[in-house]
Amino acid sequence: MTAAIALAGVTGLALGGMIAAWPGRVSLGLATQAAGTALLGLGGAIVLIGPHAVGAGFRSGIAPALGLDPLSGFFLLVLAVTAVPALIFAGPYVRAGPSPRAVGALTAAFLLALVGLLGARDITTFLGFWELMTLVPAAAIIVARRDSPVRAAVFAYLAITHLGGAGVWVALLTLAHHGAIGDPAALARAGTGAQTLVAVSALIGFGTKAGLVPLHSWLPRAHPVAPAHLSALMSGVMIKVALYGLIRVEFQWLGATPRWLGIALLAIGLCSALGGVLWALVQHDLKRLLAFHSIENVGIIALGLGASLLFARAGMREWAAIAFAAALLHVANHAIFKALLFLGAGAFEREVGALDLDRLGGLLRRMPWTGGAFLLGAMSIAGLPPLNGFASEWLTLQSLLHVALQGPVWVALAGAVALAGLAATAALALMCFVKVVGLVLLGPPRRPECAVAVDPPAAMRVGMGALAALCVAIGAVPGLVVPTLAALAPGASGDVLALHAGLQVPGTGSLPALGLALALVALVALLFRARGTRHAAPAPSWASGQALTPALSWTSAGFTKPLRIVLEAVLRPTRELEVVEEHGLVQRIAYSNEVHPLADKLLYEPAIRAGLRGAALARRLQTGNVRTYAFYLLMLVIALLALVRTGVLA
Amino acid sequence: MSSVAAAALQLGGVAIAPLAPGTIQTLKARLQGRRGASPLQPYRVLRRLWGKSTVDPEGAGLSYRLAPAIAAASLLLAFALVPLGGRSGGWGLGNDALVFVGLLALARFAVAVGAWDPGNGFALMGAARDVTLAVFGEALLILALLLAALPAHSTDLIAMTDAAGGWAAWSHTAHWCGAFAFALAVLVETGRQPIDNPDTHLELTMIHEGPLLEYAGRDLAYLSWVAAARHWLILTLAAELFLPHPRGFLGGLAALGGGLVAACLLLAVTETTQAKMRILRVPSLLGVGCLVALAGVVFSIAGGP
Repeated sequence: MTAAIALAGVTGLALGGMIAAWPGRVSLGLATQAAGTALLGLGGAIVLIGPHAVGAGFRSGIAPALGLDPLSGFFLLVLAVTAVPALIFAGPYVRAGPSPRAVGALTAAFLLALVGLLGARDITTFLGFWELMTLVPAAAIIVARRDSPVRAAVFAYLAITHLGGAGVWVALLTLAHHGAIGDPAALARAGTGAQTLVAVSALIGFGTKAGLVPLHSWLPRAHPVAPAHLSALMSGVMIKVALYGLIRVEFQWLGATPRWLGIALLAIGLCSALGGVLWALVQHDLKRLLAFHSIENVGIIALGLGASLLFARAGMREWAAIAFAAALLHVANHAIFKALLFLGAGAFEREVGALDLDRLGGLLRRMPWTGGAFLLGAMSIAGLPPLNGFASEWLTLQSLLHVALQGPVWVALAGAVALAGLAATAALALMCFVKVVGLVLLGPPRRPECAVAVDPPAAMRVGMGALAALCVAIGAVPGLVVPTLAALAPGASGDVLALHAGLQVPGTGSLPALGLALALVALVALLFRARGTRHAAPAPSWASGQALTPALSWTSAGFTKPLRIVLEAVLRPTRELEVVEEHGLVQRIAYSNEVHPLADKLLYEPAIRAGLRGAALARRLQTGNVRTYAFYLLMLVIALLALVRTGVLA
Repeated sequence: MSSVAAAALQLGGVAIAPLAPGTIQTLKARLQGRRGASPLQPYRVLRRLWGKSTVDPEGAGLSYRLAPAIAAASLLLAFALVPLGGRSGGWGLGNDALVFVGLLALARFAVAVGAWDPGNGFALMGAARDVTLAVFGEALLILALLLAALPAHSTDLIAMTDAAGGWAAWSHTAHWCGAFAFALAVLVETGRQPIDNPDTHLELTMIHEGPLLEYAGRDLAYLSWVAAARHWLILTLAAELFLPHPRGFLGGLAALGGGLVAACLLLAVTETTQAKMRILRVPSLLGVGCLVALAGVVFSIAGGP
């Protein structure tokens, strides 16, 4: 039954892709894809709630095998929940964009690759879809945008994810070699050497694709240049599927997890969370800013996963499951609100052109539907009650706090540092989205296009509205989701948490989210009413006696200035001020302010330099003369013969 | 029975919260050799503001108008979370310390977003500083709450109050570290010297007062009450988690009253003796607080004295 639903879904998706490639049938194709994805999500939900697996189980062989278990089902559900609204949004969006047919067809291919990866039960299928998942969005970006900076971004994306992604091959092939896929005991037998190799290479491989610092550099390049619905899918789903791989390897197949792995995940998660949000704060472009926030949120998820590993190691099964549920809930929440924000950004871009933060403004008034949904998404990602982002951040904070309540002392200290870091991350995210909301949605329009923008067609509004409704719904009743997620944790025994609307977690004061939400709405309404309707005539805003002209309006850089000064040592901003004077009068002032990512300077630039130097050396071998190559071959044969003779090669 | 009494007291707290800043101002004036206004002055201000009509700045939209109501509503909810004398009314809203922090963040978000709407430069300057300091302040507050949660093994504020009762807590170094960290967090959250000066009327030095600059009438009354409520709630937490008090409802309440007065006096003394620091030096001060709190975690887990 479930298998039939899933197969129908895949068929619908493939059919939708083919229809979209047909001239003039893009909308129909995308609608078919949405229907297929919805069926797949239904299948995922049945497997998740069942909970029972369908199809094949995991195996170490290379014969292709497909199947679904509850963890795959959960990620499939997240995919559907994000992708269906994105596809509904994409109908009018793609039709008006460049190369609609190709983009429509590639969207289906991308979704199929993601679904295939979630359903893969052997390494051949897994690695095949893994590579497709990287390549298909690259193709879609190149089809949609042809300028050279975009090509450079796509090249960086492919280069970094392929180099880092080699870790996935190493991890999976080692696992398959020991017959350990789907059999945790097998790797435990193989010894700690193999375990460490698998753990580290999986962390690098999947971590690169998930956008964890320091291998994140491709993400803020590639995500912003894709069409909006693909950005939503890349940030919402693709990086989560990489986390799915990470969970499979580190939680299920590794056998005994070493303690350093939990601490390492906390450290990487903290660097990603803080680094992501800090660099997001200094971005000038909305979509780039959102891409950096994906790094932040993946970091928060990694914090939850690290806490779960540490609890499991300490034998605290209950909290291991709660921390695991916190991570999975944040996977779902981030998929939802990040997709919403990217779709909103796409709608703004369609109306007003470029998304330079300092040149937007006033869009909430002009585009109330898009702006309202975007505002809800911004409040969710800033982790504000009573929305969904708060529920998962609260659960993650509680997990870290309880790590800090445990011994031994180093683990407790790591937990406390991560806790403080996550609190700071939440406050930074709040600052960032205060800025975004202020610059994009509020204030006067800072460009003529913003003054005449209007809400997009109904389908696009429905897509965003559905995601915004999910933000509110999960925020109000997170307790209906979390017990199911906690049961997915490895070694979770039965019902860890009882089913409530709110989150009733032992060792906390509980989060009765529904009550909080209702009370908050009621009180706001009451107080707003009590505010009365007596208004004097509007007065001009106070600007020390001068008129408030557009030149006085605040910029993105202005709002983050205190933080940039405080964190100068970390952010290392460069500042250029050029004053042109003629005849003693200032004619023109040029000011620019840039913050260059630290990882680029410390990691990528040296790596690129070393790579180029290595290539220059290797180039000397390439003379172009056929006799030289014959000489190389001869030397190779002699060397091999010598090795066989000495017994090194049997 | 005690839960009904606690509920009544929590509601009473909503009404007497303005006494906290009023008392601090009076004590401060006396310490400085002035007669000063009576502790009831904030009520007079609120009454005066309530009777006035609102003046919206040009270009202000719904987010500007809603901001005071949202801030006041989230602080009202926070009253239900904070127990008094170790008891809380049956509001069905839980008593979690981290939810409390979340509600404070919601109020901060609403006010800062409201500052963007009319685009007043001074309001935005204050909002930018407020959210910047909150980055360090929130980390500090959560670490201090972690130290208070250590003996109770829970973030339930009722359990935390109980565990901090009696004299046993004072024999742990961690408790002293926590008290130091929380004292700094109190300064940030209440916006008092040396971090912020609530009496300032110079726009360039405002932090918390900045975003309030354009508001008038009932909106300003809400926001003034919000500032008073922050004083009340954070001082209550300080008294219940880090000042000596007996276990039990009535004893706890009596100790809470004494603790609140003592905390107000301490704040007045600090304000009198300390000049406002340069705003960019504040994060280092808060960083010291975080380090002390982390040291407290180490002491506590390592089982030291």
